[in-house]
Order: sequence, then C-alpha cells, then structure tokens
Amino acid sequence: MLELLPHLLHQALFGALAAAGFGVLFNFGFRALPWCAAAGALALAVRTVGQDLAWSLEGASFAAAIVTSCSVSALRRQLGPACNAVALSGCIPMVPGAFFGQALLGFLSVTAPNLVDAETTLIVAVQSLLRVIFTLGAIGAGLLIPAHLLRNQDF
Amino acid sequence: MEQQQDPVIARHRDLERIANMALRAGRIMMESGASVSVVHAGVGMIARGFGVEDVGMRSGYASLEITLHAGGNTITRMIQVGRLGVNHRLDQAIRQLAVRVAQGGMTVDEVEAEIGRLARDTPRHPAWVVAVAVGIACASFGRLLGVDWPAFAAVLVAGTVGQYVRHQLLHQGVNVFIVAGLIAFLAATLGGIGSILIKSNTVSLAMMASILLLVPGVPSTNAQTDIMDGYPTMGSARAVWVLMIMVFASVGVWFAEALLGLRTL
Repeated sequence: MLELLPHLLHQALFGALAAAGFGVLFNFGFRALPWCAAAGALALAVRTVGQDLAWSLEGASFAAAIVTSCSVSALRRQLGPACNAVALSGCIPMVPGAFFGQALLGFLSVTAPNLVDAETTLIVAVQSLLRVIFTLGAIGAGLLIPAHLLRNQDF
Repeated sequence: MEQQQDPVIARHRDLERIANMALRAGRIMMESGASVSVVHAGVGMIARGFGVEDVGMRSGYASLEITLHAGGNTITRMIQVGRLGVNHRLDQAIRQLAVRVAQGGMTVDEVEAEIGRLARDTPRHPAWVVAVAVGIACASFGRLLGVDWPAFAAVLVAGTVGQYVRHQLLHQGVNVFIVAGLIAFLAATLGGIGSILIKSNTVSLAMMASILLLVPGVPSTNAQTDIMDGYPTMGSARAVWVLMIMVFASVGVWFAEALLGLRTL
C-alpha cells in the first residue's frame, strides 16, 4: 500500500489544483477556494484508492462523490449554504471530459472515408460515451443523495 | 389619473412590482448556475416576504414565469433569462438577500436597489487571474489523464490563452457554441504545437487536456439535479446544451489534429 502513496498524493494534489482553478472560474471567493481545493483533493484521493482496489471508474467516482458530499456536509456550520457548491467544485476534476471528447471524435472517425477497422473504432467510441454517461450519473447521484438525506440548506 | 386611484388596479400594480422584482432575482440566480428548485425556492421566499399568499412558477431554458396571488388578486408575469453561466458569489449573495426579504421588513424599492447593487458590485476575479487559474486547472487535468511533464507546460499555456480569448469573445457577444469550437481549435493547436516542440510523448492527450476548460461540468450536474428534483424539461434542455458544446469542442479538436497532421479530414 505504501508504494501507492506517491501516486495517491500526486492525484490528490492535481485534483486540488484543478478544483481550485475551476473555483476561480466559478467566482468562488478567496476564502472558499481552499475548501474547493480540499474537496478536490479528497475526491481524487478516494477515487484513486477505489481504482487501485480494481473498482470501475464509475464505482470509484460514485464513492468519491459520496465521501466528498458527506465530508462537506459535516462542515456546513463553517461553510453555510455554500457547502453543496463546494462539494460540486471538488468533484469537477472527476468529470470525464476527455472521454466525452474521445467518444465524439470516435463517432466522427466512423464516418470518415476509407475507414480501416470501423468496428473497433465504433466500439471504443460507444464505450467512451457510456463511460461518460455512467460516470456523470455516478458523480451527480453521489453528490445529491447525501445532500438530500442530510437536508443541506440551499439558503 | 382616475385609473391610478382604482384600488384594484393599485393592488395589481403592487403585485406586478413584486413579481418583476422576484423574477429579476430568479433570473440572476439562474444565470449564476443555480438549479431550478433553488431558483423557485428563492423567488418564492422573496414573494412571500411581501405577503403573497400563493406563488406558482414555470422555468424554461430561456425564460421564467411567475403567477402571484394575494388579497383576491392574481397576476402572471414572465422574464427572459440570458446565457447560463456560473457565478458563485453572486448566486450566494442573492440567496442571502432572499432570506432577508423572507424575514420581512424590507420595501420593494429597497430590494430592487439591493438586487441592482449586487448585480453591479459583486466582485469578480480579474480576467487574467481566471485565465491563469484555468490554465493551471487544465494542466492539472492533464496530469490526472497522464500527460508527461513537458506537455504539462504546453497545456498550461494553451489553457491560459484559450480561457483569455474565450472571455473576450463571450464579452463581445459571440455565440457560445461558436466560441466553444474556436477555443477548442485554438487551445488544442497551441497545446499540440507546444507539446511537439518540447518533445512530449503525449501530444494527443495534451491536446485533449487543453480543451477541458470547455467541459461544462456544472450544467451537466445541474441537468441531473433538475431531473431528480422534478424538472425533466429543464434538465433535458441543459443536457442537450452540454452535448452541443461538446460536439463543437470535438470538431475544434478534430480540425486541430488535422492541422498538425495527426488525423486526416
């Protein structure tokens, strides 16, 4: 397990940077940005542990979103109604944008003239698209279920 | 003049001002990234803070409608909603205002003035700060995807330039989908050229990481939230919007790959 630590720290660090970067884009205040970074680090750490345990990307993303949402909900006295937004910002680095792009590029490739091995191209594109749909669903459900059950206030 | 003294018309005018003011607050929340249920709750709190008995709302992708009932009078009004973005501080400020209005004690004039002040004065990070932050975020995404360190620098520059140009184009009113296509082409080309020049082994991944600033993460989760909250029409509209953005972004990457000789058109 110790040999996985550098990889875990790497993923958590860049998860934190990605979440904080998008926090700036979403106009979070400077006081909220460290919370976004912490949520991103936690989400990526949990997802990485899950994938190291041979879970699917979708399962690991669901677990990461649940843990992030629950952790942020535990801090709602400090964060107030912004806690749901902080959890969402933390999970942004898990949004499978690259798979989405790969899926659409794959579908564009299928229509190209003189395509070699069309079946493989199509299957890879469909796999990527399904992965996007299921991962987005997993992240959304993982964020929403604790927020609803714990009755996080929106105001 | 005589019409102004008619008590029924006067009550309608009061109700109309409340409706328009509540809709304005709802529009800002919607344009700032709030889900439909939050917008409905916020608008309802503001209206009820002025003694409105019943509030009915309908949300479309580009408009909000409200029906208010108070003292035997009913009024329905609609407002257009602009481009849906994300502005956390403004969203939270309007929510706090809704709580204050719901507690009572504010006049319509005061609330209108406060909404205008929040829309005008809520701070935003400077464009260059946002650009650098987004560049760092894209490069970090790249590391999570597996780009090597030389490509990290290229993605950082490509993401920063891409975000800055996107900001300028959106402020000039260019269509959001065309912006997505143009920025995907620009950022992917910059990321690809930079990665090739620095002799990266992950050129294709770097090109993909360079466009991740365009991935609409908040709208895609809001789409799911809206559907789960009982607003499937709005959720579906958001999902279609997300799909369209990604189609345009993918076409931009496609052309960039063709330009760099990584793909044939």
